[in-house]
This record gives sequence, C-alpha cells and structure tokens, in this order.
Amino acid sequence: MIPALEFNAIEGGYEPGLPILRGASLTVMPGEIVALLGPNGAGKSTMVKAAAGLVPIWVGTVRLNGRDITATPAHRMVHEGLGFVPQTENVFTNLSVLENLLLAAALVPKARRGSLDRVFALFPDLDRLRKLAAGRLSGGQRQMLAVARALIASPSVLMLDEPSAGLSPKLVGVVFERLRAVRDAGVTILLVEQNVKAALAIADRAAVLVEGRERLVGRATDLADDRRLASLYLGGGLEEA
Amino acid sequence: MLQLLADGLIVGSVIALGAVGLTLTYSILRFANFGQGEFMTWGAYLAVSALSFVLAMTGGGVMEPIGPFSFGWQLIAAMIMAATLTALLALLLDWLLFRRLRHGNAITLVIASFGAALALRNLVQFLWGTLPEYYTREIQISLRLVPRDVMGGLRITPDQMLVIAMTMIVVIGLHLLLTRTTLGRAMRATALNPALARVAGVDVNAVVRATWIIGAALAAIAGVFAGIVGQIRPMLGFDLLLPLFAAAILGGIGSVWGAVLGGFIVGLAESFSVPIFGAEYRAATAFLVLIAILLLRPTGLFGEKP
Repeated sequence: MIPALEFNAIEGGYEPGLPILRGASLTVMPGEIVALLGPNGAGKSTMVKAAAGLVPIWVGTVRLNGRDITATPAHRMVHEGLGFVPQTENVFTNLSVLENLLLAAALVPKARRGSLDRVFALFPDLDRLRKLAAGRLSGGQRQMLAVARALIASPSVLMLDEPSAGLSPKLVGVVFERLRAVRDAGVTILLVEQNVKAALAIADRAAVLVEGRERLVGRATDLADDRRLASLYLGGGLEEA
Repeated sequence: MLQLLADGLIVGSVIALGAVGLTLTYSILRFANFGQGEFMTWGAYLAVSALSFVLAMTGGGVMEPIGPFSFGWQLIAAMIMAATLTALLALLLDWLLFRRLRHGNAITLVIASFGAALALRNLVQFLWGTLPEYYTREIQISLRLVPRDVMGGLRITPDQMLVIAMTMIVVIGLHLLLTRTTLGRAMRATALNPALARVAGVDVNAVVRATWIIGAALAAIAGVFAGIVGQIRPMLGFDLLLPLFAAAILGGIGSVWGAVLGGFIVGLAESFSVPIFGAEYRAATAFLVLIAILLLRPTGLFGEKP
C-alpha cells in the first residue's frame, strides 16, 4: 500500500546552516491517525510546516500518496490534497466564519458547494456562528473553524499543529472527538502534540522526535506504557530507560 | 462656511482615493510606498497623452462636452487607459525593484520607494515638460446652489460635483470587491496573515500583483480627478503625498473606509484652515493633523491596537 504521507530523511530549517530537521523520516498510512511527539525544540512543528511548504527542505523528500511534493509551493498544497492547521493564528480574524470557509472553498475547484454543508454538519456550532467575525470566537470555536477551513478543500491528509494548545481539558476532548470523526470520514491525520496522554488516546501510531530526528516509533497503545518515552522527554537517551 | 465645506470635500475626494491605494499597499505589501503620489502624477499625465491619442483616432481633435461638464467621453476613455497604463507601470516597478527587496527589511523598501518616486517625478518632467497641462480649456461657470445669505452661500461646478460623486462610487465598488469577491477576501486574508493565506491556498504573489494594480489604478483616477478640478503639474502627486499619509494614518492603516474618512477630514481641515491661517499655510494643515493623530491616537480612527 502506498503511504498517504512519507517523510524521507529530510533536513531543513528557517536559516541556511542552522538545521532544525536532521534527517527526519516518518510514514503515515492511509486512514491512520499518527501523533508526532517530542520535547520542546525537537522540530515537530518545523516538520509539518516543511511538509506544508512553509519551511525550506534542503535534503530528502516528502511524498503525498506517492507524489513528490517537496518543492510544491505552499499555496498549491491544498490542490494536492494536503491540509494544514497551524498552531496559532490559524483563522482569519478579520473575516467572518462564513468568509473563512468561502475563501477556502473558492480557491480549490474540487471543493464543491456540498463541502460547506459537510463541514457545517461536522461542526454545527459554526453554522450558528457563520456571520460572526472569526476574531470573536472562543479558543475552541477557533480551533473548530481552523479544522473546518482545512477540510473544505477535501484533503486526503490533514496535518494539525498542537490543536489542544490553550484549550481546557474538556474542550481538548471535544476537539479530539471531532478529529476522530474526521478520520472516520476517510481523512488521514498527522497530529503534532505536546499533550502526550490525549494524543496517544486518539492516535493509532506515534513517533517521538528528538533534535530533528525520529527516535521512537510505534503503536500508540504500546508507547503509552513505554518508559523510554518519558526518558526522551526528559532529555535522556533510549538506552537510559 | 458651506463653500469651505464643498472645497474640502473636493480636495478630500482626491486625497481619499490616493490614501485608499496607499493603505492597501501598506497592509498587503507591508511598507509605506512613497511612490503613491507619483502614480497620481503619472495617471494625470498619461491621461493627457491618452486624450490626445483618443482625439486623434476619433478625428477632428475636438472634445464635445457631455451635458454640463467641461469634458466629453474621450476623457473618460483616456482615464481608463491611464489607469491601465499606471497599473502596468506599478507592476513594472515591482518587478524591477520591490520584488527583489521584499524579503528584506521594510525600511529598505521605503527608501527604495523614495528613490523610485524621485525617478518617476523627474521622468514626468523629461517626458511632458514642466508647464501646467489641462484636459480641456472649456470655461465652466459654477452653479450657485445656495444663496449668499445662507451660511455664506455655495457655488460649485458640475465637474466638482462629479468628482465627489465618482469618488464615492469608486470607493463603494472597492468595498464590494473586498467584501464580496474571492480576490477581495484573499487580499484581506493576506493582509492579516500571509503564511496562513498561503496554507489556505491563496497565491500571495497574485494578490501582491492585484494590490499594485488596484492601488495604482486608484491613484491614476485620483490624479485625473485632480487634473479635472485643477491643473496638471509634475509636483501634483508630491504635493499631495503628506495629505495622503495623514489620511491613511488618521483612518487607521489598512482600513479602506478609514482612509476615505481620513481623506475627507484632511481635505476639510485644509479648507477650513484657509480663513484662519491664510491660504499660504493650507499645506501645513496636513502636518498638524498628522502630529495630532500620532499624539492622540496613533492607531487611527479604525486601526486596531497592536
């Protein structure tokens, strides 16, 4: 089976000569939810931003459903079928909820009229708030809108950068429940998370990134009980566990 | 009193159109374009040449005025041609200069725009000379709309009334573009967060090109309006540069309606300052308005606090 998303030994970063990613590899199979974990500064966000075309990749490749998208410009990624929800500032606060979604729908030809109804069915709160400026939404509502905006283009793979950031535990549960529904609708998910417990509860598999490279990859249920996970978070090596 | 109000609205119309272009450029391209005034000058002069071309092509070389106005359809055609050519000039300037500096410091772009403005101004003098130009030599008699004994009375020419009305039509058209079309939403999205706009599928380079086209076309129309109600001079745009910035900052950088309101406020302030300080200090009023805004409300009327 062709992987939905495949990082192949990528190196990259914001400044030339200062790599954040140092040969990171990861494979996400169709229909999976994969959690990308790791301590602060490990390069998790940089890795998904690199796949989204926002951070230069110097070495290695990123493949989406078998197609090489390493050099694809960021604005073409939605056309390729790759959706991305950044961690912060992930909605256009100066546009209404409906305008956020209409903009996304208008830019991608394959996003037909039905896609709006589809995301409103998935996020009924947004339907009620469609005329409200996105800047006036609560944290949880913003996160829903950000996911809905990315889903409008009917992506085959959705990458989310810390969707639980700044949310109450109850809202994290609601957001993650919706993500499970998104996966059940056929969308593959790569989830960057600091909330390890919540991420492992929803994910099928997980990878731990340390200093720009994956150090531990496995089934989420196995990693939840793996002492090596805590060791990597605390700055230790695999051998210390 | 009424006369000062009307004079202020006429000047304010020209300032408002130029300031809208300036505020759009600032919010999307993220630098203060000191060349905006020169786009007004170029628009006005290109319309002079376009008018000669249209008159030559239509035979006779004479412009038959429409109704009470001092100009015919040929000037409207010339204005559309001038707006198109000014937009192309802005795209050329972006391609030659600003595109290469976009990823650097904003100050570099501002200084580059100073240089571009200087070059454009001198090029105007080289191409069209330094003597004032006019679109028409038709003498227009102003209409007395309000008798002299009511608040000092009001006289205004049909051309001046048209400029005010056309400004409002252009601004409403721009408002509809920004709020009802995908391009407008993409421009607002890019102004707020270019990286998120790219992730959402917006071709930011296309938005940048659209911004130059719209900003320069608005400046050209403002230049033609300035030429209709006054004379066309190489310093036309340069003299309006400070009022443009005062209007854009007063309205709140990035706000189209703020720039329009700011334009009219600066125009009215200039007009009402004449009987108080004298006509020679009229231009200084924009300075006073700018200083007052920066001291009292640096974010402007509709600007958001950082």
